[in-house]
Amino acid sequence: MPDTPAAAVQVTGLRKTFHVKGAPVAALTGIDLAVAPGEIFGLLGPNGAGKTTTLRILTTLLPADAGDALVAGADVRREPALVRRRIGYVGQLGGADVNATGRENLLLAGRLYGLSAAAAQDRCAELLGVFDLAEISGRAVRTYSGGQRRRLEVALGIMHRPGVLFLDEPTTGLDPQNRANLWDQLRQLRDGGATVFLTTHYLDEADQLSDRVAIVDHGRVIALGTPDELKRRYSGDTISVTPDAGTPRTPALTDLARELADVPFVGKATVEHGAIRLAVTDTTRAMAAVFGVLAARGVPTRAASLALPSLDDVFLQETGRSLRDTGDHATARETEEVAA
Amino acid sequence: MTFALQTELFFRRKLLETLRQPVWLVTGLTTPLLYLALFAPLLRSLAGGPAFPPGHVLDVFVPGVLVLIAFGAGMGAGWPVIWELDSGVIERLRVTPASRFALLLGTVLRDAAMFAVPGVVVIGIAAIFGFHAHWGGLVVLLVLLTLLTAACSATSSALGLNLKQIGSLAAVVTGVQLPLTLLSGILLPLSLGPEWLRVLGHLNPMYYAVQAARSLAAGSVLTGTVGIGFLVTGAAAALALWWGTRSYQRAMA
Repeated sequence: MPDTPAAAVQVTGLRKTFHVKGAPVAALTGIDLAVAPGEIFGLLGPNGAGKTTTLRILTTLLPADAGDALVAGADVRREPALVRRRIGYVGQLGGADVNATGRENLLLAGRLYGLSAAAAQDRCAELLGVFDLAEISGRAVRTYSGGQRRRLEVALGIMHRPGVLFLDEPTTGLDPQNRANLWDQLRQLRDGGATVFLTTHYLDEADQLSDRVAIVDHGRVIALGTPDELKRRYSGDTISVTPDAGTPRTPALTDLARELADVPFVGKATVEHGAIRLAVTDTTRAMAAVFGVLAARGVPTRAASLALPSLDDVFLQETGRSLRDTGDHATARETEEVAA
Repeated sequence: MTFALQTELFFRRKLLETLRQPVWLVTGLTTPLLYLALFAPLLRSLAGGPAFPPGHVLDVFVPGVLVLIAFGAGMGAGWPVIWELDSGVIERLRVTPASRFALLLGTVLRDAAMFAVPGVVVIGIAAIFGFHAHWGGLVVLLVLLTLLTAACSATSSALGLNLKQIGSLAAVVTGVQLPLTLLSGILLPLSLGPEWLRVLGHLNPMYYAVQAARSLAAGSVLTGTVGIGFLVTGAAAALALWWGTRSYQRAMA
């Protein structure tokens, strides 16, 4: 990197609309975010939220309709060639050439980025060691296990020591051990000075791996900050109450939820799977007040629990939906988005 | 310089891919030889008859078989393109600084090699069985048909990138293959057919390649037929290379 830009990634007002069978589908409705050099930045959101579209625009694969994006000091629209030289990319599909060996894949990637044959050999040997692939480097990638292949694909993305590495859903389909290993490797990359920009729909990945998180929904950023900041800013603890649905004395859940929302120290109340979830600002006082109301109304309770805040609560607060529930019916949109 | 290096890297990658699947090398040779062994004898009874060009039957048929080899070597390029779209290889390569034209050219050059090698073998074997080889003309012929291979290869890659699905590609390629082959006079000279067939043939770019190929195989290099053949085939190759490069620039997984 010639000079150190203020931000590794700077995005303002990014918009993109796809046309699926003639009908416009808004994928991005104005994305704004900035990623500092040397941080792991997570783009968290349900399928179809616009994560992949954002990543594809930032990696020069897709032109934006409007907005500006500066990546590794170069303008994505005006200087795509410069962006490509400075970034690494690990796509959702992986992109290793399965007919070639791991070593051939790495050497080709290195040479394409302008490394000399000798430099590519050295870097290849180094990465084969780091990613524990040396033993199988002479085998066709077709014979690799899922974890081995993923490690090779990440190695391919950093063969040329990019300043910014983009990864699209890097741990999808990995078993817990491979997932933990990949997290470690991404942390080491960051510690070595690289910026890591990844998309994920896993809460724990955004929470534990990312230094900062942008939560996206319907093509815009709805929350941005460190995981701890977000959790503190958007929600305290959450009380979950499940009334006994079997008795005639139980009022409609939505009515009850509305009533409980008015209780002191309770923020927002939502109904989910027969339970009422209450975001509370002061857990102890709210708990006493809530159970007071329930007792006064004579509502029998089947279960009650206290949950510590998670990034899902942030999403819930902003959208009224849970990230855990949004996946399935949004899948069709994501498919179209990728196919568009 | 970088462009040449990138082209070489992509060519080597594609060549290795082919060499690792020896079954293609074998069928690349057996198909044209089967034409020579099983179809050429059928033509023998026609040779010397009305509207059949003069000369040994192989002198008429071998240039056509060479065109078939060129067509076949090129038109297969689209299938791996679709696999590479599906596995993300093309997407990954599009994020590298590599030239899209070099990416296309790697496959085109591999296909050119996959035409030239069986082409030379077929000429050698046909010469043993009575084909009159005019070596000067054959060299120019190989150049012409390398251009044809390039046109077919780039077209097939572009089709793969745009259609994105094996089924659609197969439908288009097989749908186009038969009329292009029949209307080029490869198997039987179009002069045997009625006038409307000959008119249709003139609309087929491959017809001019076949005509030029016959002229070159007969040793006539500096003829109008050869000139037109190079013009049409060269234009087709240029157009296809442009389309293929553009398709790589815009390809979406």
